[in-house]
Amino acid sequence: MLYYDQYHVPETLDEAFDLIHTNGGNYKVLAGATDLLPWAREGRGGDVNYESVIDISKINDLSKWQLQGNRINLGANVTISQLLNNPFLRKHIPVMAKSAVWFADDQIREQATLGGNLVNASPAADATPPMLAMNAELTLERKQKGKIIQRKLPLDEFLTGPGKTRLEAGELVTRVECDSMLGYGSAFEKVGHRRSLVLSTVCLAALVSLSDDGQEFEDVRLALGGVGPVPIRLKESEACLISQPIDSDLIDKSAVLAVKHVQSRTRQEYRREVVYNFVKRGILGACKDLNTTFADIDTDMKHRGNYG
Amino acid sequence: MASFDIQMTVNGRPVKQSVSPHLRLLDFLREELHWTGSKEGCGAGECGSCSVFVDGVLMKSCLMPVAKAQHSEIETIEGLEEQGKLNVLQQAFQKTGASQCGYCIPGMMMAATAALRANPYAGREEIKERLGGNICRCTGYQKMFEATELARDVMNGKLTIELLKEEKEEGPFIGSNSFRIDTSSKVTGALKYAGDMVMPQMLHMQVLRSPYPHAEILELDTSEAEAMAGVEAVVTHRDVQGIDGFGVFTDDQPVLARGKVRYVGDAIAAVAAEDVLTAKEALKKIKVRYRELVAITKTEDAIKTGAVIIHDDVPDNIVMHIPIRKGNVDKGMAEADFVIEETYYTQPVEHAYLEPEAGLAYLDADGTLVIQSPSQNITHHRQKLAKILDMPVNRVRMIMSPVGGGFGGKEDMHYQGILALAVLKSRRPVRYVFTREESIIASAKRHPFSIKYQLGLNREGLIQASKIHMLADAGAYNCSTEGVMRKAAILAAGPYAIENLMVDAIGVYTNNTPSGAMRSFGAMQSQFATECHLDLCAEKLEMDPVELRRKNFFKEGDETHTRQELGSVSMLEVFNSALDLADWETGISNSRGATRSDLAQSGNRPPCTLGARQFPLETIPTGQAA
Ligand SMILES: Cc1cc2nc3c(=O)[nH]c(=O)nc-3n(C[C@H](O)[C@H](O)[C@H](O)COP(=O)(O)OP(=O)(O)OC[C@H]3O[C@@H](n4cnc5c(N)ncnc54)[C@H](O)[C@@H]3O)c2cc1C
Ligand code: FES
Ligand code: FES
Repeated sequence: MLYYDQYHVPETLDEAFDLIHTNGGNYKVLAGATDLLPWAREGRGGDVNYESVIDISKINDLSKWQLQGNRINLGANVTISQLLNNPFLRKHIPVMAKSAVWFADDQIREQATLGGNLVNASPAADATPPMLAMNAELTLERKQKGKIIQRKLPLDEFLTGPGKTRLEAGELVTRVECDSMLGYGSAFEKVGHRRSLVLSTVCLAALVSLSDDGQEFEDVRLALGGVGPVPIRLKESEACLISQPIDSDLIDKSAVLAVKHVQSRTRQEYRREVVYNFVKRGILGACKDLNTTFADIDTDMKHRGNYG
Repeated sequence: MASFDIQMTVNGRPVKQSVSPHLRLLDFLREELHWTGSKEGCGAGECGSCSVFVDGVLMKSCLMPVAKAQHSEIETIEGLEEQGKLNVLQQAFQKTGASQCGYCIPGMMMAATAALRANPYAGREEIKERLGGNICRCTGYQKMFEATELARDVMNGKLTIELLKEEKEEGPFIGSNSFRIDTSSKVTGALKYAGDMVMPQMLHMQVLRSPYPHAEILELDTSEAEAMAGVEAVVTHRDVQGIDGFGVFTDDQPVLARGKVRYVGDAIAAVAAEDVLTAKEALKKIKVRYRELVAITKTEDAIKTGAVIIHDDVPDNIVMHIPIRKGNVDKGMAEADFVIEETYYTQPVEHAYLEPEAGLAYLDADGTLVIQSPSQNITHHRQKLAKILDMPVNRVRMIMSPVGGGFGGKEDMHYQGILALAVLKSRRPVRYVFTREESIIASAKRHPFSIKYQLGLNREGLIQASKIHMLADAGAYNCSTEGVMRKAAILAAGPYAIENLMVDAIGVYTNNTPSGAMRSFGAMQSQFATECHLDLCAEKLEMDPVELRRKNFFKEGDETHTRQELGSVSMLEVFNSALDLADWETGISNSRGATRSDLAQSGNRPPCTLGARQFPLETIPTGQAA
């Protein structure tokens, strides 16, 4: 159980930073609580005592989003449910909605936040691969000697290991900025033990834009989760497709290049098979999303050992 | 400790209270307001038994610090009734029999309510999605989907309300619709499970459990815990007045560890205090000095000569050995055209009843000790307790509280004895509610088996001889191992006529979590091996696996493996109808592969990998510029 004497609900960032300051080290920041409360149980964190909990979910500014040029700027408190349901977000970053629909369940999605998902830094976090693929950058803020100190970090630099990030003491993730994906097709693949309430065994985000004639990949972005300490961009797999024709052999090659990233502690062979097929299906799915049909492309999924 | 002023509306009524800030919304509803309809199945967001509406949005109240619900409107299962009558959805749950143990029902009904509020015309797939965060361990969900659809259609005027009534028919009960007598108490959340019950002066108990699989207890000092304010009783084996020991078959398990611990989770001492937090703090003050012993974690190590002895009176670590001998197995094997061998392994399985163990115990005015718990074995427990407590049996009363799922896992008396000691020492009512984690750590699981299988067959596929050697992990205590071995042995060779048979079922002590009764009581493990093995034999013989079984089935007049003459045998008829319904395609299984025609028939379920399915709910717009 999570035990604490004080529960604070700041309504502005300034209030939050003041609370962080007055509580010294003995506080915990909480947004949706969907990672924190299950963590504070036997076998994981166990019973944990804090003097204070600072609930940042009512800081209104952190729940807002806006379009800035071709970037979307999201507050850390945006919920997974908003990513799934908001028409504006579905238009600009539809891959988040495609990820969100497989996220936990209806109920937890209402509480769980984007910021919490990224800060929690689970190797299987579902929001991370899409955000990596959209070149996400975080805004980190803290207050020192009465002054707000702000820095920005690309998501891939922010995440350093399972449960580990570059977040510093007293710092909050305030915003998450990513590309608007207008013009791209997208796909999100996830597999786990069951339909709902399941962490990804493997998950993948795929984003594709095509040349005007629809014959060539203009841009390809792939990011993979669940197979190693942190979710990653598949740069090599992307490079072998960018500015190339839509071609079975190249897609196969791209998928084969992804397989070596499987470094999980368990079920490596299974995950390799899934990764190969997810990359292939993700790319094709993202193309299909752009209403591209490809009669002569090999769409078959392959079993263990029949690839690479 | 600081307090927090909370204000909200619960089922339409304003509530204002000062509470400990660390409470979750679920704790507030259950422990402060005593609205116990919402349940705690897991406390970790996984089961949905705690689902309530917060400002019209369905949420898991175990994941919500109560302060998050400040100034909000809460709706719980208790608010569903309309003018004291079951609403349409409640009636529909009653009609389809959607409530069995009932423990998941409060949350499930809230999720079904949410589904129909979100879309009054929701189809089956959408209903399934919306109920996805709620687990039921009893029903298999179909009846809940049916109930939600039925309610939907009645609410939309597509079906008449008459349909929600019980269809009392003259004549036989089979095939007719009658309501369970306790359903209305389940669909309203009114039914009190043990963990929902409270009494004036009630104390809360917590149990200290062993971190070691096998260790001697050199010292057990509870004095510091006993001295704490708010602690009313600390109990250990020293408080047992009678003859310690309980079990379904032999009394090999002490109420609280006596000199040694035999598995991780073995109960050592318990504290009854004014609240759970104080009891937990007191547990930390109990001093235990251990000397670790070699732990046996594998069954094959338990029966090696010179193996560490887990129970002094069982020097060979064998809890129970059931042998069956029939005909001459060696001769049968020698005469067979094929002898096929394989070893099968099954794993321990947690029952995961949605209601974790709980109990409330107290003394009646006349000194009778009363224990209410979801026990599957009350008469037996009563006898054992009388012996352990050295009380006349008519001074011990067990009341079976509603069982929120048992599946065999609530046959053992794992905590009722501890409760009894705490009540007798404190002279106050004491309640003990397991967390999900505790339930997994401490109570018995399904026996893991390793099964060495040898089958001799002739070319036509007739079984000539069968030799089955089963080694089962009983864990630290006997529990139901004796009975499980018996059943495993009796049913091991399957419903097949076999002349030469040799079966051994051996349950051995280890320092793993105890194994006990669970759905099928040993039969599942041996049947798993038998049916896998027959499939394997069919492949080797290049024979349709169905045909192989038909050839060997028991027939009328046959004797079972334990010499019971069979008067009537309907299994061929049952088997054939099942095959028809499954669209079974005749043929040798390993020659058909992925092209089998009996897969992907209309009506068959699609594979359940995620990405392959269509994106559910509305489709997501593509990234085309608008
Ligand atoms: C049953 C269940 C199913 C789940 N299923 C999924 C799933 O399918 N996919 C998935 O990815 N996750 C899943 N999760 C995990 C969890 O819901 C998500 O990771 C969620 O996004 C966490 O967000 P939160 O707001 O609830 O975080 P919280 O629990 O409030 O916080 C998590 C951590 O982040 C810190 N934190 C939060 N916000 C900030 C901030 N702005 N700045 C600095 N620190 C911050 C907190 O201090 C804490 O350490 C599941 C959880 C449960 C209980
Ligand atoms: S989800 Fe809340 S108790 Fe299980
Ligand atoms: S009826 Fe659903 S868990 Fe028992």
